[in-house]
Amino acid sequence: MSAGSVRVYADYECDFSEDVDVVVVGSGPAGAVTAKELTDAGLRVALIEEGPPFTPQDFEIDGAISMARTMREGGLRMTQGTVMPTMQGIALGGGSLVNSAICNKAPDFVLDDWCEKFDLENTTLADLDPHYDAVGEFLGIAPTPEKVQGRRNLLFKQGCDALGYSSEPVLRNVKGCRGSGECFTGCRTRAKQSMDVSYVPAAIRRGALVLTSARVESILNDGSKATGVAGRVVAPFTGRASHRFRINARAVVLAAGCMATPVLLEKSGKLANRSGQVGENLQFHPGVAIMGVFPEDVHPAFGATQGYQSKNFLRDGYKLETLWAPPSVLAVRLPGSGMAFKNRLADFARSAIWDAIATCNRSLGRVRTRSRSMTPSLVWRLHPEDVRILTRALWTLSEIFFAAGAKSVVSGVNGIPDEFFSLDEARMLTEHPLRDRDLVLGGNHAFCTTRMHGNPARGVVDEYGRCHDLRNLYITDTGIFPQCPSVNPMWTAMALAHRSAAHISAEL
Amino acid sequence: MVLWLIVCALAAWLLIRIGFGYPPLAHGYQVLRRNEVALLASVSEAMFPPGGHIPSSGLDANLPDYIDRWMSVSSKQTRVLMHLLYFLIEHATVIFPAPGRAGRRRFSALDLDQRVAVLQGWGESSLYLRRLVFVSLRSILTMGYFAHPPVLRQLGVAPFAIESPICEADLLYPRIGARSTDIAYTADDLTTVRDDAPLLPGSPLHPDFSEEQS
Repeated sequence: MSAGSVRVYADYECDFSEDVDVVVVGSGPAGAVTAKELTDAGLRVALIEEGPPFTPQDFEIDGAISMARTMREGGLRMTQGTVMPTMQGIALGGGSLVNSAICNKAPDFVLDDWCEKFDLENTTLADLDPHYDAVGEFLGIAPTPEKVQGRRNLLFKQGCDALGYSSEPVLRNVKGCRGSGECFTGCRTRAKQSMDVSYVPAAIRRGALVLTSARVESILNDGSKATGVAGRVVAPFTGRASHRFRINARAVVLAAGCMATPVLLEKSGKLANRSGQVGENLQFHPGVAIMGVFPEDVHPAFGATQGYQSKNFLRDGYKLETLWAPPSVLAVRLPGSGMAFKNRLADFARSAIWDAIATCNRSLGRVRTRSRSMTPSLVWRLHPEDVRILTRALWTLSEIFFAAGAKSVVSGVNGIPDEFFSLDEARMLTEHPLRDRDLVLGGNHAFCTTRMHGNPARGVVDEYGRCHDLRNLYITDTGIFPQCPSVNPMWTAMALAHRSAAHISAEL
Repeated sequence: MVLWLIVCALAAWLLIRIGFGYPPLAHGYQVLRRNEVALLASVSEAMFPPGGHIPSSGLDANLPDYIDRWMSVSSKQTRVLMHLLYFLIEHATVIFPAPGRAGRRRFSALDLDQRVAVLQGWGESSLYLRRLVFVSLRSILTMGYFAHPPVLRQLGVAPFAIESPICEADLLYPRIGARSTDIAYTADDLTTVRDDAPLLPGSPLHPDFSEEQS
């Protein structure tokens, strides 16, 4: 098979069309895996991405400018209802370009729950394991090595050990990490195996046509089957539309992300929505973070971005992680103003920030389509019971901080003191009645807006990602998760996409 | 007639409050207006006052210049929201006055102590929306403060110098804005990822953040 090619914004000079076997919309983890596996199967594939490819020279180290360039809505996308920021990448490689490369298999009890509640027959851990392994081998997924953990991560281990909580080095899709802590602004060391440096080049080697700066605006169909996609070329960063394109295909795969895919279906004449579930059931892993201040320097800028984690409390609804990000982004979570705020920032060199992500199956929302835009409107509410999970997680993080030797913790929670100097004081986190609006939340990972269900009346796709309503239309992004997976979803999304690709190539 | 006079007086007062009395700009800005530059300078001084544990103040960090650059690469919708935020902070002193004499002046005309008190009022308000406005404003300013190289150096969190290796992807993608035919690298340029050298504390800093550059 001859090598494929990439087109970037400056390459487009007129309207165009292409004929392929399969068109894949979205080059994030799910889309990139799907495209590569389908090209491996000998199919002609077009992979379409709205964002541009980033080279290391295009990365911005500064947090805000980087977000403005690599994230949808400049990184300022918010939910309504419970106000919470949530970030989605817009770049070749999707979110993998700017995430911290955490790879976790969904726990067996979660997948068993999915099978039972959503009439799925082949989605247990044993079913998915071969697909997890294939992806893991390709990306070199491995535990974060000790030499790049840095003190910030190792203090977490030390605290967990002291309390008898299990913890482990984070498994990541990284080869040759140097501990720059720059995962969120693009890996300048090229160690992170984001999709743009791993699966996408592999797909191109096998013949894929990759169209970047190309925004799909509708799915073409004849009522019974999808026939391709149509859209416009858009300028990087400004989104200014120019040439039109059309890709004719025997099958269409949507991997645009669980917020963009429902909009695309809606804009295509309410496609694949006989169940009424498109855009519904929006779930997140809401996250909270807390800063611990230690007596000595922690040197937080050195070390893997998120090198350690604890799954000790997964069944209680939360997972704990270490965290680093551009300092400006981390500082946003701290309380105060004026001199008190400034002096708190001065503690940065002696601080570590750790976070928790929560399983919030009760906290639901929806993705709505705006009439003149492809930008979704998000409504979501944090359930009061899930507020309790998050405050419990903050308490546990405080426990670990004090066990690791912190002299204080700074929670940033409204309505209670800014800083606790002992575990006794921190008890207020669980004893004081708190509401969603008292927490500084981050909307990590989003799911379920085109959920899989064995019953076509209750879900959009089957467990292979095939739409119940249109047999040659597939969805492989995290929208197909029936519930949040309790751990970072990237590896599971890729494993499901790997399985879907095998299914699609068999069908074609 | 009286009503008409009141409306005219109110309109004149509004016009003067909103548009007059701002200092001229030291240089051109892409997005920010004169009144916004004045507001952001005054907020940055109150949010990051001189003194304390970090030598650099908000004024040293020249936040309006940074925010102008940020807004110039942001979407139109984001820019509109940011303009509205600045307007709200500047003129909400009519509803939430600063303590002390003439506390209803626009924010940028208040004394430093009054500005600090006003910001504290927003941040600690029992009204969720006021706190949300405060967090939005503080986030914007904090982003700019942390973009100031001396601040990052003083905090010990400045980015390291890293020479990016040339990998297979670099043979496929040009820099943003260039054509595919402009890719500078060939297979002969490929280098291996260095996994033998962690960037330990004390490693050389990124050129833009090193002391020499400042």
